[in-house]
Amino acid sequence: MQMTAYIVMLFALLGTLFLGGWTGVAFLTGREERLKFSEYGHLAITGLVCAASGILLWALVTKNYAFYSVFSHVDSTLEFAYTLTAFWAGSEGSLLFWELSMALCVGIFVFTPGYKELPQRTRAYFWLVFFVVQAFFLLMLTCWVNPFVQAVPTPPDGKGMNPLLRNPGMIFHPPLLLLGYAGFVIPGCAAIAAALSGDGSQWIRSTRNFTILSWIFLTSGIILGGWWSYMELGWGGYWAWDPVENASLIPWCTGTAFLHTAIVGSRRNALARSNMLLMALTFVLCVFGTYLVRSGVVESLHAFGEGGVARPLLSFILFLTAVSVVSVLQCKLTDQRSLGGLISREGFLVIAAWTLIALGFVVGLGTMWPVISKTWSSKPMGLDAHFYNRVCLPLFALLVLLFSACPWLGWKEGVRDKRGLMAAGAAFLIAAGVFVAMGYTLPLALVGAAGGVACMTTAVLAVGLLPDARGRKSLGSYAVHLGLGLMALGVAFSGPYQVGVERDVHPGETFEVGGYTVKLNELHEKSSASMARLIAELEVSKNGKVIGTVVPERRLYRGYEQPFAEVAVLPGLGDEIFAVLLGLTEDGGASVKVNVNPLVNWIWIGGILLSFAPFLVLRYGRGKGKE
Amino acid sequence: MATKGGKGIYIAALLLFLGGVGYLIASGVTNDSVYFLNVGEALATEPAKLKQARLFGNVAAEGIERMQPGPGVNFILLDKENPGQSLRVSYRGAVPDTFKAGAEVIVEGGMGAAPTAAGEGTVFTASTLITKCPSKYEKQNRG
Repeated sequence: MQMTAYIVMLFALLGTLFLGGWTGVAFLTGREERLKFSEYGHLAITGLVCAASGILLWALVTKNYAFYSVFSHVDSTLEFAYTLTAFWAGSEGSLLFWELSMALCVGIFVFTPGYKELPQRTRAYFWLVFFVVQAFFLLMLTCWVNPFVQAVPTPPDGKGMNPLLRNPGMIFHPPLLLLGYAGFVIPGCAAIAAALSGDGSQWIRSTRNFTILSWIFLTSGIILGGWWSYMELGWGGYWAWDPVENASLIPWCTGTAFLHTAIVGSRRNALARSNMLLMALTFVLCVFGTYLVRSGVVESLHAFGEGGVARPLLSFILFLTAVSVVSVLQCKLTDQRSLGGLISREGFLVIAAWTLIALGFVVGLGTMWPVISKTWSSKPMGLDAHFYNRVCLPLFALLVLLFSACPWLGWKEGVRDKRGLMAAGAAFLIAAGVFVAMGYTLPLALVGAAGGVACMTTAVLAVGLLPDARGRKSLGSYAVHLGLGLMALGVAFSGPYQVGVERDVHPGETFEVGGYTVKLNELHEKSSASMARLIAELEVSKNGKVIGTVVPERRLYRGYEQPFAEVAVLPGLGDEIFAVLLGLTEDGGASVKVNVNPLVNWIWIGGILLSFAPFLVLRYGRGKGKE
Repeated sequence: MATKGGKGIYIAALLLFLGGVGYLIASGVTNDSVYFLNVGEALATEPAKLKQARLFGNVAAEGIERMQPGPGVNFILLDKENPGQSLRVSYRGAVPDTFKAGAEVIVEGGMGAAPTAAGEGTVFTASTLITKCPSKYEKQNRG
């Protein structure tokens, strides 16, 4: 079976190389009608990759431990759903999933009206670039990270999946991120192709849906990862600025910047080359993200080990960057219009894009600092979370403020709706005044939170006041920014104003945390076939009134010697009580951690809007619809 | 791409923007950069320079003592490449579930703040203790 799958992958690689050559020759000889063959060829390759993936999936379903990747992540007791998630639990499987998603996305793209609208030359270049990318991925999968390695002799049982991964987060978070990365291959390759063929903005319209869908996948993957880390892993925080988290945030920043400049591009026929470069680099940065995770170049909490793939990946990243930059630099466009004034919607979209690019740059710089600092220091220096908070949070606050004003400006110059602008300004001042009166005086958090309120005010008022804001797509975009405002509010409060206590308590004892009184009511054990559980019942009260009970657990899973914490929360739209049972003390008490996280749930509510509202922005049917 | 006057104002705004970001980055790099070291490298550095550092290593099998009253733990951190080099670490706070002998951990804190009860050399006082996510077995398998 392993051999069959491996041979199928080899054929996919050879087929891709052949198609690349075929496309090149067809193009050079001017017989571009032969591109049809490239399209059908790609569908055949997609079929091969699907077949190989199907074999791995079948091996998982039947728990065939002769597959090393099955043996590494599955055992006989693992539930069916998590057995399937083992597909992307390892370095090899996740890369195969990426390649599979990429092949499928492009396979679907071929049948969209957008693809047919691309000029013939751009299409030819698209296939050339894409086949190079796909050949590289297939090369990795057949040489350095082969998912079809055989375990000899066949082990009787597998190693099992780590309990931390047996969580709904595992079902959605990794595939969403990978789908996001993979989806950007379409606009990424189209951007390079457009630069080579001199197509100003058609590629943006043609790949629009795929860009937005990839953005949705990436965004929801990132947000779900934050939620998973907050809720289930018991880390207590939703974002730790770990290199692996940062790896997904960098392409998100440039991709989001592109969404903003693309509006100027397709609407005003300006910024064509910036758009091409931004999108091409976004895809390169997706690959860079996987390099960070797989190369061991920076220390991280949850990276894959180094698997010999670092050097080829880095070479490919440099190659793709060079191709992107050179193609954009040589691109000559004649029909480009100039930008309007700075104080205009165009101007603000451009500043928003700068801010997002700066964010991506800062995150990248911070992540790579241990590597960069080696150029002058014998011992590597790194940057801790304070660095990111100091540099990134002001930029995020600026983004929120920019949006609060942007819709009220005219396209080319000046203010178009004074009422709205003044309302947003008033919302900002009033919110800031109220927060100060409530005792929240940290300047940055204050600007962020008041900015969040102004941003939401704008998002809601714009739909009421602006005549062009009521279409489906506009509504979608305002809803996304409403989500952004909610997230800004949540982060500004839950970050600096979180209060936490770690304490040993005995049943009947109480302690104070952030104005709440917590009492350990009971500590008991339960056990079942798959795990033993230690359960603490903590009663939470405020001003003498009981508001609820949180029941954090520690679980000892079969086959794992160390226990795992199961977090419990008392959810609320104001304060959320977050409790972790750290363990037993020697004298029969419990060691617990209780946090009070203000407004943290607004982050998830905002995140849901951010993940779902963009579906409204998609182009449905064949209509040409504007941005 | 912009008209002449328009282009000027964009360039001015960009310079202003880059100045602001540059200032933020410079102040961040000066204030928040810490050494990222393996145990061996940390031992070769003057303790005075390690007021704030992040260390990487493995937990030694011997010498794990839970703090009483908890939560917290004292343990010996071994260099990943050269287990002969070791450093005592004292950490107060919630101990992660996956912390155990042999685990690969990251500690943040400073050197030499307090000598241990055992009275052995310098102690690294950690304010955070993170175990590497053990989900991905690759490293152990290849090692």
